[in-house]
Amino acid sequence: MTGVEEDPLPRLPELPEPGAVPVTSPRVTDQVPEAPGDDAGDRRARWQEAARLFLRWRDQGDARALDELVRLLSPVLWHVVRAYGLRRETAEDVVQATWLTFVRKHDTIVDPLAVSAWLTMTARREAWRTAKIDGRADPTEDEALERRMPTSATAEDQAMGELEAQRLWDAVGGLDERCRRLLRIVAFDDRPDYRRIANDLHMPIGSIGPTRQRCLGKLRARLDGPEGMRRG
Amino acid sequence: MIVNVESEEEDGRMLDALARMWERKDAPPVDLAERMIAAVAVDDLSREYALLTEVSADRAAVRTEQERLTLQFSDETTSVLLHVSATENGLRRVDGWSEPAVLAARLSQDAREWAAELNEQGRFAFTDVAPGLSSVRLIVRLDGELREFITPQFEV
Repeated sequence: MTGVEEDPLPRLPELPEPGAVPVTSPRVTDQVPEAPGDDAGDRRARWQEAARLFLRWRDQGDARALDELVRLLSPVLWHVVRAYGLRRETAEDVVQATWLTFVRKHDTIVDPLAVSAWLTMTARREAWRTAKIDGRADPTEDEALERRMPTSATAEDQAMGELEAQRLWDAVGGLDERCRRLLRIVAFDDRPDYRRIANDLHMPIGSIGPTRQRCLGKLRARLDGPEGMRRG
Repeated sequence: MIVNVESEEEDGRMLDALARMWERKDAPPVDLAERMIAAVAVDDLSREYALLTEVSADRAAVRTEQERLTLQFSDETTSVLLHVSATENGLRRVDGWSEPAVLAARLSQDAREWAAELNEQGRFAFTDVAPGLSSVRLIVRLDGELREFITPQFEV
Protein backbone atom coordinates (compact mmCIF):
# COMPACT_ATOMS: atom_id res chain seq x y z
CA MET A 1 0.00 0.00 0.00
CA THR A 2 3.02 2.24 -0.17
CA GLY A 3 2.37 5.18 -2.45
CA VAL A 4 5.18 5.77 -4.88
CA GLU A 5 4.52 9.38 -5.65
CA GLU A 6 4.20 10.68 -2.16
CA ASP A 7 6.14 10.45 1.01
CA PRO A 8 5.31 6.94 2.18
CA LEU A 9 5.72 7.98 5.76
CA PRO A 10 2.54 8.29 7.69
CA ARG A 11 2.11 11.90 8.47
CA LEU A 12 3.13 13.19 11.79
CA PRO A 13 0.65 15.60 13.29
CA GLU A 14 0.27 18.22 10.67
CA LEU A 15 2.11 21.39 11.23
CA PRO A 16 1.38 24.28 8.93
CA GLU A 17 3.61 24.72 5.93
CA PRO A 18 6.59 26.82 6.79
CA GLY A 19 5.48 30.28 5.88
CA ALA A 20 1.79 29.55 6.36
CA VAL A 21 -0.34 29.77 9.47
CA PRO A 22 1.63 30.52 12.61
CA VAL A 23 2.33 27.48 14.74
CA THR A 24 1.06 27.41 18.27
CA SER A 25 1.84 24.96 21.00
CA PRO A 26 1.54 24.72 24.76
CA ARG A 27 3.08 27.40 26.88
CA VAL A 28 6.42 26.79 28.49
CA THR A 29 4.79 26.69 31.90
CA ASP A 30 2.57 23.80 30.80
CA GLN A 31 5.52 21.63 29.92
CA VAL A 32 6.13 19.53 32.96
CA PRO A 33 5.26 15.99 31.91
CA GLU A 34 7.01 13.34 33.96
CA ALA A 35 9.99 11.76 32.31
CA PRO A 36 9.68 8.01 31.76
CA GLY A 37 13.40 7.70 31.01
CA ASP A 38 16.59 9.60 30.57
CA ASP A 39 16.43 9.75 26.78
CA ALA A 40 12.91 11.09 26.76
CA GLY A 41 14.00 13.57 29.39
CA ASP A 42 16.94 14.56 27.22
CA ARG A 43 14.67 15.05 24.29
CA ARG A 44 12.35 17.27 26.25
CA ALA A 45 15.29 19.24 27.57
CA ARG A 46 16.43 19.59 23.98
CA TRP A 47 13.31 21.19 22.60
CA GLN A 48 12.95 23.43 25.59
CA GLU A 49 16.55 24.52 25.17
CA ALA A 50 15.81 25.10 21.48
CA ALA A 51 12.90 27.35 22.42
CA ARG A 52 15.08 29.31 24.83
CA LEU A 53 17.84 29.82 22.28
CA PHE A 54 15.33 30.83 19.61
CA LEU A 55 13.92 33.52 21.90
CA ARG A 56 17.36 34.87 22.73
CA TRP A 57 18.14 35.15 19.06
CA ARG A 58 14.79 36.52 17.93
CA ASP A 59 14.06 38.94 20.75
CA GLN A 60 17.51 39.97 21.87
CA GLY A 61 19.32 39.70 18.57
CA ASP A 62 21.88 37.38 20.12
CA ALA A 63 23.63 35.78 17.13
CA ARG A 64 25.52 33.35 19.38
CA ALA A 65 22.20 31.91 20.53
CA LEU A 66 21.44 31.08 16.90
CA ASP A 67 24.85 29.39 16.65
CA GLU A 68 24.02 27.31 19.70
CA LEU A 69 20.62 26.39 18.29
CA VAL A 70 22.29 25.17 15.10
CA ARG A 71 24.78 23.19 17.16
CA LEU A 72 22.01 21.65 19.26
CA LEU A 73 19.73 20.50 16.48
CA SER A 74 21.97 19.78 13.49
CA PRO A 75 22.64 16.18 14.64
CA VAL A 76 18.89 15.57 14.98
CA LEU A 77 18.23 16.96 11.52
CA TRP A 78 21.02 14.77 10.18
CA HIS A 79 19.30 11.61 11.37
CA VAL A 80 15.91 12.74 10.12
CA VAL A 81 17.33 13.50 6.68
CA ARG A 82 19.42 10.33 6.50
CA ALA A 83 16.23 8.37 7.10
CA TYR A 84 15.36 9.25 3.50
CA GLY A 85 18.31 7.29 2.16
CA LEU A 86 20.24 10.34 0.97
CA ARG A 87 23.98 10.10 0.60
CA ARG A 88 25.96 11.73 3.36
CA GLU A 89 27.02 14.74 1.27
CA THR A 90 23.51 15.30 0.01
CA ALA A 91 22.17 14.91 3.53
CA GLU A 92 24.48 17.68 4.66
CA ASP A 93 23.21 19.94 1.87
CA VAL A 94 19.64 19.29 2.97
CA VAL A 95 20.43 20.08 6.59
CA GLN A 96 22.03 23.33 5.45
CA ALA A 97 19.04 24.22 3.26
CA THR A 98 16.79 23.59 6.25
CA TRP A 99 18.72 26.07 8.37
CA LEU A 100 18.74 28.73 5.67
CA THR A 101 14.98 28.34 5.27
CA PHE A 102 14.65 28.68 9.01
CA VAL A 103 16.61 31.93 9.10
CA ARG A 104 14.45 33.40 6.34
CA LYS A 105 11.10 32.22 7.61
CA HIS A 106 11.53 32.10 11.36
CA ASP A 107 9.10 34.97 11.86
CA THR A 108 6.27 32.60 10.94
CA ILE A 109 7.00 30.58 14.07
CA VAL A 110 4.93 32.29 16.71
CA ASP A 111 5.47 29.84 19.54
CA PRO A 112 9.13 29.15 20.30
CA LEU A 113 8.26 25.68 21.59
CA ALA A 114 7.39 24.72 18.04
CA VAL A 115 10.90 25.43 16.76
CA SER A 116 12.18 21.85 16.88
CA ALA A 117 9.05 20.50 15.24
CA TRP A 118 9.17 23.18 12.55
CA LEU A 119 12.78 22.32 11.75
CA THR A 120 12.30 18.56 11.56
CA MET A 121 9.20 19.02 9.42
CA THR A 122 11.05 21.34 7.05
CA ALA A 123 14.00 18.93 6.90
CA ARG A 124 11.67 16.04 6.07
CA ARG A 125 10.01 17.95 3.24
CA GLU A 126 13.35 18.97 1.79
CA ALA A 127 14.79 15.47 2.17
CA TRP A 128 11.78 13.93 0.47
CA ARG A 129 11.95 16.40 -2.39
CA THR A 130 15.68 15.87 -2.81
CA ALA A 131 15.39 12.09 -2.72
CA LYS A 132 12.84 12.29 -5.54
CA ILE A 133 14.94 14.62 -7.70
CA ASP A 134 18.30 12.93 -7.16
CA GLY A 135 17.11 9.40 -7.36
CA ARG A 136 17.60 7.30 -4.31
CA ALA A 137 20.95 6.57 -2.83
CA ASP A 138 22.41 3.20 -3.51
CA PRO A 139 20.43 1.00 -1.12
CA THR A 140 23.58 -0.82 -0.12
CA GLU A 141 25.30 2.38 0.91
CA ASP A 142 24.35 2.02 4.54
CA GLU A 143 25.72 -1.47 4.81
CA ALA A 144 28.90 -0.46 3.02
CA LEU A 145 29.30 2.44 5.39
CA GLU A 146 28.78 0.23 8.36
CA ARG A 147 31.39 -2.27 7.24
CA ARG A 148 33.94 0.50 6.84
CA MET A 149 33.50 1.69 10.36
CA PRO A 150 36.10 0.34 12.74
CA THR A 151 34.80 -1.40 15.81
CA SER A 152 36.44 0.25 18.75
CA ALA A 153 36.22 -0.97 22.28
CA THR A 154 35.96 2.23 24.28
CA ALA A 155 34.22 2.82 27.56
CA GLU A 156 31.34 4.30 25.64
CA ASP A 157 30.97 1.04 23.75
CA GLN A 158 30.45 -0.71 27.03
CA ALA A 159 27.72 1.71 28.01
CA MET A 160 25.53 0.56 25.21
CA GLY A 161 27.29 -2.48 23.91
CA GLU A 162 28.41 -2.88 20.35
CA LEU A 163 26.68 -6.22 20.22
CA GLU A 164 23.37 -4.66 21.12
CA ALA A 165 23.80 -1.95 18.50
CA GLN A 166 24.73 -4.52 15.90
CA ARG A 167 21.72 -6.65 16.80
CA LEU A 168 19.41 -3.66 16.39
CA TRP A 169 21.18 -2.58 13.21
CA ASP A 170 20.71 -6.03 11.68
CA ALA A 171 17.10 -6.24 12.75
CA VAL A 172 16.28 -2.79 11.37
CA GLY A 173 18.10 -3.65 8.16
CA GLY A 174 15.65 -6.48 7.60
CA LEU A 175 12.61 -4.23 7.78
CA ASP A 176 10.99 -2.69 4.74
CA GLU A 177 12.06 0.80 3.75
CA ARG A 178 8.91 2.42 5.04
CA CYS A 179 9.41 1.03 8.53
CA ARG A 180 13.12 1.82 8.57
CA ARG A 181 12.39 5.42 7.68
CA LEU A 182 9.51 5.82 10.09
CA LEU A 183 11.42 4.37 13.02
CA ARG A 184 14.47 6.52 12.42
CA ILE A 185 12.40 9.68 12.22
CA VAL A 186 10.31 9.00 15.29
CA ALA A 187 13.39 7.86 17.19
CA PHE A 188 14.90 11.32 16.77
CA ASP A 189 11.82 13.43 16.72
CA ASP A 190 10.73 15.19 19.82
CA ARG A 191 7.81 12.90 20.39
CA PRO A 192 6.26 14.43 23.47
CA ASP A 193 6.31 17.76 21.72
CA TYR A 194 4.44 16.48 18.70
CA ARG A 195 1.77 14.93 20.84
CA ARG A 196 1.24 18.10 22.81
CA ILE A 197 1.08 20.22 19.73
CA ALA A 198 -1.34 17.82 18.05
CA ASN A 199 -3.55 17.92 21.10
CA ASP A 200 -3.48 21.62 21.34
CA LEU A 201 -4.34 22.12 17.72
CA HIS A 202 -7.07 19.47 17.90
CA MET A 203 -5.35 17.64 15.09
CA PRO A 204 -5.34 13.88 14.69
CA ILE A 205 -2.07 12.15 15.28
CA GLY A 206 -3.02 10.35 12.11
CA SER A 207 -1.80 6.93 11.24
CA ILE A 208 1.50 7.34 12.96
CA GLY A 209 0.47 5.40 16.06
CA PRO A 210 -0.72 2.20 14.34
CA THR A 211 2.09 2.24 11.78
CA ARG A 212 4.69 2.81 14.42
CA GLN A 213 3.21 -0.09 16.38
CA ARG A 214 3.28 -2.31 13.33
CA CYS A 215 6.92 -1.46 12.56
CA LEU A 216 7.99 -1.93 16.16
CA GLY A 217 6.16 -5.25 16.16
CA LYS A 218 8.08 -6.42 13.11
CA LEU A 219 11.30 -5.26 14.69
CA ARG A 220 10.60 -7.16 17.91
CA ALA A 221 9.79 -10.28 15.93
CA ARG A 222 13.19 -10.05 14.26
CA LEU A 223 14.93 -9.43 17.55
CA ASP A 224 13.21 -12.43 19.10
CA GLY A 225 15.05 -14.76 16.76
CA PRO A 226 14.28 -16.99 13.82
CA GLU A 227 11.19 -18.58 15.27
CA GLY A 228 9.78 -15.18 16.09
CA MET A 229 10.54 -13.88 12.61
CA ARG A 230 7.65 -13.10 10.37
CA ARG A 231 7.54 -12.20 6.78
CA GLY A 232 7.37 -8.56 5.69
CA MET B 1 -4.35 -5.63 21.03
CA ILE B 2 -3.81 -3.79 24.26
CA VAL B 3 -2.61 -0.24 24.03
CA ASN B 4 -1.73 1.11 27.41
CA VAL B 5 0.75 3.30 29.14
CA GLU B 6 3.16 0.42 29.70
CA SER B 7 3.38 -0.48 26.04
CA GLU B 8 3.79 3.21 25.24
CA GLU B 9 6.74 3.33 27.59
CA GLU B 10 8.12 0.12 26.16
CA ASP B 11 7.89 1.60 22.67
CA GLY B 12 9.60 4.70 23.95
CA ARG B 13 12.47 2.65 25.34
CA MET B 14 12.82 0.76 22.09
CA LEU B 15 12.90 4.01 20.10
CA ASP B 16 15.51 5.40 22.47
CA ALA B 17 17.64 2.29 21.93
CA LEU B 18 17.22 2.74 18.18
CA ALA B 19 18.29 6.37 18.43
CA ARG B 20 21.46 5.34 20.26
CA MET B 21 22.09 2.67 17.65
CA TRP B 22 21.89 5.19 14.78
CA GLU B 23 23.98 7.70 16.68
CA ARG B 24 26.64 5.03 16.84
CA LYS B 25 26.26 3.47 13.39
CA ASP B 26 25.63 6.54 11.26
CA ALA B 27 26.86 9.50 13.24
CA PRO B 28 26.93 12.90 11.52
CA PRO B 29 30.34 14.19 10.39
CA VAL B 30 32.20 15.51 13.42
CA ASP B 31 32.36 19.03 12.02
CA LEU B 32 28.79 19.11 10.69
CA ALA B 33 27.55 21.52 13.35
CA GLU B 34 30.40 23.93 12.78
CA ARG B 35 29.85 24.00 9.02
CA MET B 36 26.13 24.56 9.55
CA ILE B 37 26.81 27.38 12.00
CA ALA B 38 29.09 29.05 9.46
CA ALA B 39 26.54 28.63 6.66
CA VAL B 40 23.85 30.23 8.78
CA ALA B 41 26.11 32.98 10.09
CA VAL B 42 27.17 34.13 6.62
CA ASP B 43 23.49 34.42 5.70
CA ASP B 44 22.74 36.67 8.65
CA LEU B 45 23.22 40.34 7.80
CA SER B 46 22.40 41.48 11.29
CA ARG B 47 25.74 40.21 12.56
CA GLU B 48 28.64 42.45 13.26
CA TYR B 49 31.14 41.75 10.56
CA ALA B 50 34.66 42.94 11.18
CA LEU B 51 35.79 45.06 8.25
CA LEU B 52 38.94 43.89 6.53
CA THR B 53 41.30 46.49 5.15
CA GLU B 54 42.30 46.47 1.53
CA VAL B 55 46.00 46.14 1.00
CA SER B 56 46.04 45.60 -2.78
CA ALA B 57 48.74 47.36 -4.73
CA ASP B 58 46.67 48.46 -7.68
CA ARG B 59 43.12 47.95 -8.79
CA ALA B 60 41.32 48.56 -12.02
CA ALA B 61 38.09 46.89 -12.99
CA VAL B 62 38.36 43.82 -15.19
CA ARG B 63 36.98 44.40 -18.68
CA THR B 64 38.34 41.67 -20.89
CA GLU B 65 39.12 38.01 -20.62
CA GLN B 66 42.81 38.73 -20.60
CA GLU B 67 42.66 40.98 -17.58
CA ARG B 68 42.86 39.66 -14.11
CA LEU B 69 42.42 41.71 -11.01
CA THR B 70 44.00 40.72 -7.73
CA LEU B 71 42.70 42.14 -4.50
CA GLN B 72 44.08 41.57 -1.07
CA PHE B 73 42.39 42.24 2.26
CA SER B 74 43.53 41.68 5.81
CA ASP B 75 43.49 42.50 9.45
CA GLU B 76 45.94 41.28 12.12
CA THR B 77 44.49 37.80 12.14
CA THR B 78 43.06 37.07 8.73
CA SER B 79 44.03 37.64 5.15
CA VAL B 80 42.02 37.17 2.00
CA LEU B 81 43.14 37.14 -1.60
CA LEU B 82 40.69 37.51 -4.47
CA HIS B 83 41.36 37.03 -8.19
CA VAL B 84 38.70 38.46 -10.47
CA SER B 85 38.58 37.32 -14.08
CA ALA B 86 36.12 37.88 -16.90
CA THR B 87 34.47 34.89 -18.55
CA GLU B 88 33.37 34.39 -22.16
CA ASN B 89 29.75 35.14 -21.37
CA GLY B 90 30.58 38.58 -20.04
CA LEU B 91 30.33 37.50 -16.43
CA ARG B 92 33.02 37.31 -13.77
CA ARG B 93 34.66 34.56 -11.85
CA VAL B 94 36.14 35.31 -8.45
CA ASP B 95 38.66 32.86 -7.05
CA GLY B 96 39.57 33.35 -3.44
CA TRP B 97 41.95 32.09 -0.83
CA SER B 98 41.99 32.85 2.84
CA GLU B 99 44.05 32.20 5.93
CA PRO B 100 42.56 30.86 8.15
CA ALA B 101 40.45 28.78 5.77
CA VAL B 102 36.90 29.98 5.16
CA LEU B 103 34.01 27.89 6.41
CA ALA B 104 31.45 29.87 4.39
CA ALA B 105 31.52 32.92 2.12
CA ARG B 106 29.10 35.08 0.14
CA LEU B 107 29.67 37.67 -2.51
CA SER B 108 27.00 40.31 -2.37
CA GLN B 109 25.86 43.09 -4.64
CA ASP B 110 22.91 45.40 -4.25
CA ALA B 111 20.22 42.94 -5.10
CA ARG B 112 21.94 39.59 -5.38
CA GLU B 113 24.22 37.23 -3.58
CA TRP B 114 26.43 34.36 -4.66
CA ALA B 115 27.40 31.52 -2.36
CA ALA B 116 30.99 30.35 -2.53
CA GLU B 117 31.94 26.90 -3.65
CA LEU B 118 34.46 25.78 -1.09
CA ASN B 119 37.54 23.85 -2.04
CA GLU B 120 40.24 22.44 0.13
CA GLN B 121 42.88 24.47 1.91
CA GLY B 122 41.04 27.73 2.20
CA ARG B 123 40.28 28.08 -1.50
CA PHE B 124 36.85 29.14 -2.67
CA ALA B 125 35.21 30.45 -5.82
CA PHE B 126 32.22 32.49 -6.95
CA THR B 127 31.13 31.72 -10.50
CA ASP B 128 28.91 33.59 -12.98
CA VAL B 129 29.02 36.80 -11.02
CA ALA B 130 27.51 39.85 -12.73
CA PRO B 131 29.87 42.81 -13.12
CA GLY B 132 29.27 45.38 -10.45
CA LEU B 133 30.12 46.75 -7.06
CA SER B 134 30.58 43.85 -4.69
CA SER B 135 31.76 42.84 -1.26
CA VAL B 136 32.54 39.47 0.27
CA ARG B 137 31.42 38.26 3.68
CA LEU B 138 33.20 35.29 5.14
CA ILE B 139 33.35 33.14 8.21
CA VAL B 140 36.62 31.71 9.48
CA ARG B 141 37.63 29.78 12.56
CA LEU B 142 40.05 31.66 14.78
CA ASP B 143 41.36 30.15 18.00
CA GLY B 144 38.47 27.72 18.07
CA GLU B 145 35.83 30.41 17.54
CA LEU B 146 33.98 31.44 14.43
CA ARG B 147 34.58 35.02 13.31
CA GLU B 148 32.72 37.05 10.73
CA PHE B 149 34.53 39.35 8.30
CA ILE B 150 33.51 41.56 5.42
CA THR B 151 35.62 43.20 2.73
CA PRO B 152 35.18 46.77 1.59
CA GLN B 153 33.32 47.13 -1.69
CA PHE B 154 35.20 46.56 -4.92
CA GLU B 155 34.30 46.44 -8.59
CA VAL B 156 34.23 43.07 -10.31
